[in-house]
Amino acid sequence: MTMAGQGKWVALSAVAAVAAAVFLPWIGPSPIEFSRVVAHQQPDYLIFMELRLSRTLLGLLVGASLSLAGALFQALLRDSLATPYTLGISSGASFGAILTITSGLPSVAGLPAVWVGALLGATAALVIVAGASAQRGQLSSFRLLLTGISLNGVFSALILMVHSTAREYRSISVTHWLLGSLDSIRYSALTVFAVVASLMAAILLSRAKHWNLLMVGEDWAATRGVDPQRLLRLGFVCGSVLTATAVALAGPIGFVGLIVPHIVRARISADYRILMPCSFFLGGVLLAAADAAGRIVLAPAELPAGAIMALLGGPYLVWLVRRRS
Amino acid sequence: MSTLQAENLTYRVDSKLIVSEVCFQASSGEFLAVVGVNGAGKSTLLDLLAGLKRPTSGRILVDGKAFQNFTPSERASWICHLPQAVRADLPFTVEQIVRMGRYPRGDSWMESAADAAAVEAAMQRARCFEFRHRRFATLSGGERQRVLLAACLAQAARILLLDEPATYLDLGHQILCFELLRAEAHNGALCFAVTHDLNLALAHCDRLLVLDQGKLTADMTVAEAWSEPSWMSNFSERLRICRSPEGERWIGYG
Repeated sequence: MTMAGQGKWVALSAVAAVAAAVFLPWIGPSPIEFSRVVAHQQPDYLIFMELRLSRTLLGLLVGASLSLAGALFQALLRDSLATPYTLGISSGASFGAILTITSGLPSVAGLPAVWVGALLGATAALVIVAGASAQRGQLSSFRLLLTGISLNGVFSALILMVHSTAREYRSISVTHWLLGSLDSIRYSALTVFAVVASLMAAILLSRAKHWNLLMVGEDWAATRGVDPQRLLRLGFVCGSVLTATAVALAGPIGFVGLIVPHIVRARISADYRILMPCSFFLGGVLLAAADAAGRIVLAPAELPAGAIMALLGGPYLVWLVRRRS
Repeated sequence: MSTLQAENLTYRVDSKLIVSEVCFQASSGEFLAVVGVNGAGKSTLLDLLAGLKRPTSGRILVDGKAFQNFTPSERASWICHLPQAVRADLPFTVEQIVRMGRYPRGDSWMESAADAAAVEAAMQRARCFEFRHRRFATLSGGERQRVLLAACLAQAARILLLDEPATYLDLGHQILCFELLRAEAHNGALCFAVTHDLNLALAHCDRLLVLDQGKLTADMTVAEAWSEPSWMSNFSERLRICRSPEGERWIGYG
């Protein structure tokens, strides 16, 4: 496929994301009518604007952030099974979130306490991983991977400990949060998230050629005009910011960050100039669509988006590993 | 005319000397073979020259300027390095990998038409054009090696450092590989190839650098290598110079 042909895929992915934002909010347990929404009639207008649209946009942004971070970490760690959660950032965020849920704190500085707890936990994880894997100020993919996996184990144990001592009604919230789900969100928070995600995406995309080189190897990149140390640091920080914000707002939704980059690699291109933007847009579409499906398959009960993704992603992962071996 | 100079190049890990006070100078147009037994420090020497490892002491001068002070993109325009191996399960296509050789040559987002032409020419020369759309992971070892060689040719750097470029190649492609490097040197590049094939080296290179336990024990022209073969005992006592009825020489063992 030529570069121009692949460029078309980027445009198509962007169109798919816009289409998802336009059409998915109409899907849900209670029917809403187009004419009533346009005429600002209640409750249709309220349901559309405050519940469905913000939730769909959140799904698009979370899916986009996680897929982009997944694609990035697969290059950074040179491991095709790497996910946004491999480096322990999300388990740090989860631990922070669960501490705040069990403590019963409702809000901090006007923000939901869970967000603040998750972001603080993610920051702690980032500092620990960077500190523990640096040797003489140098990062290496291998040490990052090992430290991240170890930290994941430690945080999981801490989460289990806190969870098992939590009161029953809070324990349900913890379980729900750990599955990962999308909910309606205020537009002010959504805007901040959109700005952060777009900024990270722009920084990462501007170095798309460098991720290609790093995917081959650090020495390969170093002799082709790149400083691999700077690139590793930049990627680690940007990927962590993407992961931390997505997890803070939606919980640790699994598999989207693994599956989407692999589908794009297999079907469109492995070149990060194409892979990154396509993963960004299509990851958003996949998660928002999974969430819309979760709203209706067992209506009036809702399946969390995290559960739908896991149902799709688990078998996909098995298939992937079988094909690899 | 560009030159590469190694001044007392030393590299140690803890107290073990891997490369020890290596000195030599080479200029564009030359094709040097770096030979030595396993663990003699050949790959480390190449890594030092490529800037992948920082020497413990000594320095490298490129056209008289300290190589250590070059930026990564300046380095890439001067020096191309072919590693001994890259991971085999890369998801990229052949063409995508060869294109990476052009990355250092500009800041543009996409490769230009000139880049595309250079990439195609490099793939043709290294005989991997026919399978340019295949994924790297699906290739045989020899096919992968030709792809990496094409990526190096596409980079069009002035100094080529190749770590065992003929690995995995069948005999015909081994000869092709060394002929390609010979042609690069003829067109003004300075080529270094680490190799274990002494016949290939003596048939195509101008000069032989023999490393033993990190030290440069011989730096000689190919003519000198034939006339004073004492360096061969480094490898095996069984090596000897043979002659065909037509008078061609080769190294045999018996």
